[in-house]
Amino acid sequence: MVDIVPLSSYPSYIDLLPAIQTCNITNLPENYFLKYYLYHALTWPQLSFVAVVRPRAGYKSGSIAGDYPKVVGYVLAKMEEEPTDGLQHGHITSISVMRTHRRLGIAERLMRMSQRAMAESHRANYVSLHVRVSNTAALRLYRDTLGFEVQKVEEKYYADGEDAYAMRLNLENQWLDWAAIEKRDREIEAEKDGADGDDNANQDDGDEAGELGTKKEEDKMVRVKVGRGLGVGDLVEKNESQT
Amino acid sequence: MPQPLNSKDQSLFRQVVRHFELKQYKKGIKTAEQILRKNPNHGDTQAMKALITSHLGQSEEAFALAKEALRNDMKSHICWHVYGLLYRQEKNYEEAIKAYRFALRIEPESQPIQRDLALLQMQMRDFQGYIQSRNAMLQARPGFRQNWTALAIAHHLAGDLAEAEKVLTTYEDTLKGNPPVADMEHSEAVLYKNTIIAESGNIQKALDHLEAVGYRCTDVLAVMEMKADYLLRLDRKAEAEAAYTALLERNPENSIYYNGLIKAKGISEGDHKALKTLYDRWVEKYPRSDAARRIPLDFLEGDEFKQAVDAYLQRMLKKGVPSLFANIKYLYTTPAKRDVVQTLVEGYVSGNAGAQTNGSAGAKEDKIEFLSSAYYFLAQHYNYRVSRNLPKALENVDKAIELAPKAVEYQLTKARIWKHYGNPIKAAEEMEKARLLDEKDRYINSKSAKYQLRNNENDKGLDLMSKFTRNETVGGALGDLHEMQCVWFLAEDGEAFLRQKKLALALKRFHSVYNIFDTWQEDQFDFHSFSLRKGMVRAYVDMVRWEDRLREHPYYTRMAFSAIKAYLLLHDQPGLVYGPGGTNGEEAVDEADKKKAQKKAKKEQQRLEKLETDKREARKAAAANAKNIDGEIKKEDPDPLGLDLVQTKDPLKDVMKFLTPLLELSSQNIESQNLGFEVYLRRNKHLLAVKCLSAAHAIDPSNPTLHLQLLRFRKALDSLSEPLPAQVAEVVNAEFEKLLPKSQKLDEWNESFLSANKGSVAHVQAALSGRQFLNPGSKSQSEKDLLATLDVPGITIDEAVAALDLLSRWGSDKTVYAQKASKKWPESSVFQPN
Repeated sequence: MVDIVPLSSYPSYIDLLPAIQTCNITNLPENYFLKYYLYHALTWPQLSFVAVVRPRAGYKSGSIAGDYPKVVGYVLAKMEEEPTDGLQHGHITSISVMRTHRRLGIAERLMRMSQRAMAESHRANYVSLHVRVSNTAALRLYRDTLGFEVQKVEEKYYADGEDAYAMRLNLENQWLDWAAIEKRDREIEAEKDGADGDDNANQDDGDEAGELGTKKEEDKMVRVKVGRGLGVGDLVEKNESQT
Repeated sequence: MPQPLNSKDQSLFRQVVRHFELKQYKKGIKTAEQILRKNPNHGDTQAMKALITSHLGQSEEAFALAKEALRNDMKSHICWHVYGLLYRQEKNYEEAIKAYRFALRIEPESQPIQRDLALLQMQMRDFQGYIQSRNAMLQARPGFRQNWTALAIAHHLAGDLAEAEKVLTTYEDTLKGNPPVADMEHSEAVLYKNTIIAESGNIQKALDHLEAVGYRCTDVLAVMEMKADYLLRLDRKAEAEAAYTALLERNPENSIYYNGLIKAKGISEGDHKALKTLYDRWVEKYPRSDAARRIPLDFLEGDEFKQAVDAYLQRMLKKGVPSLFANIKYLYTTPAKRDVVQTLVEGYVSGNAGAQTNGSAGAKEDKIEFLSSAYYFLAQHYNYRVSRNLPKALENVDKAIELAPKAVEYQLTKARIWKHYGNPIKAAEEMEKARLLDEKDRYINSKSAKYQLRNNENDKGLDLMSKFTRNETVGGALGDLHEMQCVWFLAEDGEAFLRQKKLALALKRFHSVYNIFDTWQEDQFDFHSFSLRKGMVRAYVDMVRWEDRLREHPYYTRMAFSAIKAYLLLHDQPGLVYGPGGTNGEEAVDEADKKKAQKKAKKEQQRLEKLETDKREARKAAAANAKNIDGEIKKEDPDPLGLDLVQTKDPLKDVMKFLTPLLELSSQNIESQNLGFEVYLRRNKHLLAVKCLSAAHAIDPSNPTLHLQLLRFRKALDSLSEPLPAQVAEVVNAEFEKLLPKSQKLDEWNESFLSANKGSVAHVQAALSGRQFLNPGSKSQSEKDLLATLDVPGITIDEAVAALDLLSRWGSDKTVYAQKASKKWPESSVFQPN
């Protein structure tokens, strides 16, 4: 039986990363070294999810951590760091399910979990992804089941020369109700000081992403290279010289 | 003595620094040289030049220059800082920390030096030092939240939870009102504080805190999971039930949530009716969910089980879910369930499936899919260890393939059946057929490569892998697999070489995997600063803790076991250094033969070396034409064949780096202890050897390997060339007395082990080895007894292969055994004479 769990929530299942990497390099031609997975897990810990095979007698300590179950699927996701359209949005870096574990709806569930987290945690306007034009099964999932729309065709996007559909799905309908949160803030505040006409509502969220001044996201054509070439080390060094 | 620069040179020096920061290394060097022409002994400039030189990959020259810089200016913080940076580059963190400390003594206010020192202290887990550094950094810049968070992390990881919480609270108290909801750093810091409170054991306080702040944290799922966990631990059942219900509504495919819900509802493990009702309700709510349908099969029994599993199987077979068997086989630990499943599915293929014919247009196709899925299921069923019947497996898989000749999974299963027949040659052939059914699919390509390796066809395996690697990189496909840290392949490749006794290449691969783990440990370094800026500190702390147990990963243990076996083999048969033909085992007893064999092996090695050089030359030529895409400088491996590794003077010393993490992190794995003993005994470390024996004994006192090791250790103690130091002897003897008393007669002890474990081939083999060890004259009897184990019910092919290995070690003739085994398993290839 397959359990679908967050990669890095409470508790943390970050020790699944080597198996996630194995799942990727077993299934797909686009591979990344472990640091790139770490980079995702430590920058957007809410967005990645894993499908693992539950061991025969359940998990030893009641938790997956330290048990190293078999990973049969994952979604590795991120937020676009410098969105060209200025809109906060998520991006699916990589998703795959072992072919022995297809037809169970695992990929769909992984996607839905990640999409929801993007909307809730990061107020993503939409999520984008690329898919090989020949991958009809995946295309059916994204378009028919999840509601993605084809944005454009990116020619020769993949290293082997195949084109990609660039697809996206709006996520605003899953946003948290910040107004309600702020209202509750005010109620608690009012309770605390008896009476106060404080108005801190409607703060602009322009600084949501914090100081994300890191490396430019992948361009098309060199996507494969990004996983390989993108060392977080470079990001850090560059940033440090500014402080 | 330091010489001050004139103002023009000073501005040049600033340029050097800027060039370095902008990674304009060549310009930097040029400018530095310009300064040095006039001021040849200017330490700071020499230091900067050294730093840039090291970034250009010339670390020896860099070190020499940095030392000269220090000689010229011992009191320069720049010189010391650079010296530290060079050591850091070399990953000599202890020396780097020392140098940074010197630099900091000279320039206590320097933020960059303080920061570099702090990062290393974290990397080295010098928590007290890290707390000090973080305190200093906080005092220098208290306005930055990350400096507070960092100090809290320092205390937290050092184990002082109260202080960690206090630091976070102190910062929170400086905030006026709530930061905006969008402030993720705040949201994270608040949740981080909550986990610290929970970790300190005060769950009530953690829950209260979470109730107060959780509503404005945007990591909704984490808040829900924390809340559910706290409520359950506090035994607040009704609320815990609601919390787990909410989690399941988000994700009904998580058995951990169901477990929480069941605990919250207070349903006992034995109350199957209540459990079934609970799961049924979730099936109703989420009809597409698998978990709620599947989990009840674990606990249901009798007719209830039969009904439920019937419905489950038919549903999944109709959907053609390929993982159905993998999912169901876990039930087979209960033989009655295994039999029910078998009867049911056998029934389906003979036409007894329930309501699957409805006469509609697609009905015929559906029926065929159902039928082929059922045959596929049966093929796996009869291929599985506890329900194995290989001819039936083959029969069923062929029927499935007949109905769906393009189904990759079916063909894949056929290959697995041949693997279980003990025929890796045929298995690899069948898997290759599966690959050809879908050449664009990497999964089946990976499988086919793996099966080539299992058949010791290293070249063919790599060749298949190369269909999905970037082959223009330095080192070709293999280089790419290294770069992409493809651990499974490297480990399998190494194991295949080990089976062939090609120790050089085996060691080469195992060291590669070892180095990948080193890289993975190294990877955390950048996050010590990165994560503080990003503010995702919970994930960061989780990562730090995971890195501390990185090598408990099964990928590491499996590789390390093999590496240790390779080194032990090399130690025991030093002739293997020349390759598999160079063995001084039983095949080449007389000296002349041995020499001949070694000569042959050496020749083979030279041939390989030449091949490798040619390949390298070819690649070089190709690279000259097409420049490396990444523009990175990648070094050629100076020892691609592992010759330096295998030609070690001291295999028992080299092996320690593989063994140490095993004994530290996987001490509960009995194989760690078994292999630890083998290493320590050969190193004459009797105390450590007996420690491994004790640990193994605590795990499984009747472990067959341990049994033989106890005998060998007794003998070793009885025949020491020089007595152990008195103190050591006392401890060793006392410890060992508990495991195997000195008064015990070894022969009797061994024979009684034999008669107590007649049903287990592994135990019998161990006892026979023991007998052979104690009394070499009993060889013919032992050979006879070993041959008889082929009639023990349930003996596996792997066990029979192990027996051949034993016979080799005894110097016995293997023919009779191999012939009998071959007759027993006529489809196998592993007992054929080469």
